[in-house]
Amino acid sequence: MTPQPIYLEEKLKEVQESGRLAYRSKSMPTWCPGCGYFSIVDGLPGALNDLGIAPKDAVVVSGIGCSSRFPFFVNTYGFHTLHGRVLPVATGIKTANDALTVIAVGGDGDGFAIGGGHVPHAARRNVDLTYLLFDNGIYGLTKGQTSPTSSVGFKTPTSPYENPDQPLNPLLMVLTYGATWVGQAYAGRPQQLETMIKQAIAHRGFSYLHILSPCVTFDKTDRTYVRLGDLVRDLPANHDKGDLGAALHLAMDTATPALGVFYETQRPTLADALDGLVEKAGGSVGQKRRTA
Amino acid sequence: MKTDIQIAICGSAGEGTIAAGDILRNALAGAGYRVISFDAYPAEIRGFGKCVARLRVTTEQAYSLKEKSDVLVCLNDEHGIPHVGEVRDFGAVIYEAKSIVHLAEGSHVSGHIRPAQVPYPLAIRELSERATGAIRSRNMVVLGYIAGLFHLAKEPFEKIINTKFKGKGKAAEDNHKAFDAGYETGAATFKLDDVNFGPPGKGLQAVMLNGNAAVAKGCLDAGIDNFFGYPITPATTIMERLAVEMPKRGKRLLQTEDEIAAISTTIGAGYTGARSATATSGPGLALMSEMLGLGIMAEVPSVVFVSQRGGPSTGIPTKTEQSDLNIAIYGGHGDAPRIVLAPTNVEGCYRCAGKAFEMAERYQTPVIVLLDLYLSNRYETVVMPAKPPFEPNCDKPVPKGDLGAGYKRFGFTEDDVSPRALPGMAGGMHVVTGLEHNELGRVNEQPEMHEAMSRKRHDKLKAALQHPDFTHYKRFGDEGRVDVGILAWGSTVGECLEVMFLAHLEGIACAVMKVVMLSPFPTEAVAAFMDDCDAVLVPELNYQGQFAHLIQAETGRPVHRYNRVTGTPMRVEDIMAQVRRLAKTATRKAA
Ligand SMILES: Cc1ncc(C[n+]2csc(CCOP(=O)(O)OP(=O)(O)O)c2C)c(N)n1
Ligand code: SF4
Ligand SMILES: [Mg+2]
Repeated sequence: MTPQPIYLEEKLKEVQESGRLAYRSKSMPTWCPGCGYFSIVDGLPGALNDLGIAPKDAVVVSGIGCSSRFPFFVNTYGFHTLHGRVLPVATGIKTANDALTVIAVGGDGDGFAIGGGHVPHAARRNVDLTYLLFDNGIYGLTKGQTSPTSSVGFKTPTSPYENPDQPLNPLLMVLTYGATWVGQAYAGRPQQLETMIKQAIAHRGFSYLHILSPCVTFDKTDRTYVRLGDLVRDLPANHDKGDLGAALHLAMDTATPALGVFYETQRPTLADALDGLVEKAGGSVGQKRRTA
Repeated sequence: MKTDIQIAICGSAGEGTIAAGDILRNALAGAGYRVISFDAYPAEIRGFGKCVARLRVTTEQAYSLKEKSDVLVCLNDEHGIPHVGEVRDFGAVIYEAKSIVHLAEGSHVSGHIRPAQVPYPLAIRELSERATGAIRSRNMVVLGYIAGLFHLAKEPFEKIINTKFKGKGKAAEDNHKAFDAGYETGAATFKLDDVNFGPPGKGLQAVMLNGNAAVAKGCLDAGIDNFFGYPITPATTIMERLAVEMPKRGKRLLQTEDEIAAISTTIGAGYTGARSATATSGPGLALMSEMLGLGIMAEVPSVVFVSQRGGPSTGIPTKTEQSDLNIAIYGGHGDAPRIVLAPTNVEGCYRCAGKAFEMAERYQTPVIVLLDLYLSNRYETVVMPAKPPFEPNCDKPVPKGDLGAGYKRFGFTEDDVSPRALPGMAGGMHVVTGLEHNELGRVNEQPEMHEAMSRKRHDKLKAALQHPDFTHYKRFGDEGRVDVGILAWGSTVGECLEVMFLAHLEGIACAVMKVVMLSPFPTEAVAAFMDDCDAVLVPELNYQGQFAHLIQAETGRPVHRYNRVTGTPMRVEDIMAQVRRLAKTATRKAA
């Protein structure tokens, strides 16, 4: 397939007319040129725009890390919290106000090292929010140390000889924790990424999108665009996303990461469950809460 | 006739000791008396450890339990013996007359009763068995006996037994029978002690609450929307009570995975405009410190109830202590000002709880309400206000025209509180962050900005010292110059007031000042009080003298400390000894 030329002026017009610019903030991302995160900040506005979710009704919550600077670069409500605490803060927001679309974002260290204790609980409770996990296999913000998803043997300033630890498998974990929507995308395939963000947000319940994203500044050897681009593959054509076993098998293949929706199911959300308690107690659901 | 009677019931957990105390205090409150009651038991886990239920029944306002009891009930000999000594002369000791096990000499309560005390041997076991066919209702037998012996009306007891055992079938019937058996025996017993219940006066329309129940009620009356928590003694019962009541009102409560999640969800909910709270003890507060800093930096309202227990670390989890003052006021990194309130009695727990929501919202900050195990678990009769004395909404809304591009979430204003747009409001989009930021909420690390924002975060709290309809501090006792002034906080205040009355009887000029708002600190008022005192005594249940440090740091004046870490409430006699000592030196100085 010969690549189609892109004419800047046409592209600009298309973007301007699309309405997605309303979701971009005036602050330009502070990330290093070439960082995979740019694809994500391009993808979320498109997804929200397509879903017809107004900027005022979306809250983007983050932890701490390069990835967690994200809320500053989109024009929605935003809460830049603490290292590792994105999920409980997001859970509190959603629990207090069902009407908001809550998107949690953060890095691999944020979500699976310091914040690892919160992931199982957000998943098992099926909190109706979307968790975008930016996995660069490294601590970007603190300048390139080993993360819980770094490969064995990876050399960083805190593992100068080599990283001795097995990496975690976040996809396998969230599947077993009870997430009701699980998928994987790659920053090097921005169109697919945007579509998947859209699907994740549209899902009712806890959706987890694992985004492979190179850190071009601190990882010159392991998860580069060149290497990742060669490794990633499409989902097998016959993959049944209702089959948890098949999803677990896909997640176990870390050598050639598959891109797409691994798993999808429906189950009552945390809000449903809490409303159930209200009914049991004889209260009335939907009593107006003191929110906007 | 004034009534002032203290009853202690002593037995093991399995003997229904605490249940008997609970029925007794509720029945006496139902009869119109004032009651203060505090139970002591070994651990959270139910076993056969010793339990003591104590209640003081009065017609006048009382502030703490008394040193000596007027009546002691021993459900078993082993646990009862160590408590015989606490009964005053001419007081009553009720004990099992017919033990089925043979007890060695000296192991029977009867052998420990002083000649001046009045023994009431009672066939507790036998009466229970005869009335119900089982020995299980021994606690009801003694309740009935007390009611009969002291000529108390039966109805309040019957009412409480009915409600307590409603739907429990035969248990209710058995308990009534056992109560009646005890009552008949009591009424037929020749009374030799001088313990006498007078009429309850015009009667009090009061409810019986402990500190944690009062906190829960305050939350509900202030319109709490969300509660998030992780169980920990002695705070858990706040959550347990709310878990029952909030869903009835359509509100949501969630048990989180840990305290970090509890405060994170609380702040997340607070960010949307909901009134939200969590409750914990010292270990949980330590875990929450970092997130509280974010709440302060991002100016998000939240309420944290902290019931202190013995520390550090896991410490003595089922014993009381006042050693978390420092972490409440200073805990966490950075310059992190917050509001800290410490109620001094059960009614105060209700008021502080409700007011905490007002303040969190009004000043956009975390508010910590500090209790301790003694206050959390202490029962008092409380007269409830006719309608909740709390403002349902204290938010500072954004003026209509100000939403839209350029909306300043952290704008500098006259009172340093910035109008708050809530998620969902058109044109209010902004980011809140724990990074230093400018008026718009954008990251800004310029030196001038950090200074200006630090000042804003501190100065906005000053207005809390004038927060309406709230007792920030209060002076009791003698006006003007006094020999000894007592500065007190939290659950210890009750004992200090009792000390003050004793001091007056001994001719010592004495006043007490209680401080409820500990941060920001009412420095001027406290300093003015200290000006009036020849000596200032600061009794507190911690080793370091944390309140004394605070007073000294804020006022620059010396105080006399009195610290105890026995895990039990302050003893009136012990504080009194300090007052006498200081009064002597004060008089010497004056002479
Ligand atoms: C409590 C705490 N510990 C440590 C840090 C320092 N810190 C900031 S970001 C970060 C790791 C970031 O890595 P990751 O979450 O993978 O995000 P990335 O920068 O790679 O996007 C660390 C260790 C902190 N901010 N707070
Ligand atoms: S350091 Fe790495 S992760 Fe951070 S912005 Fe630069 S490229 Fe991206
Ligand atoms: Mg990372």
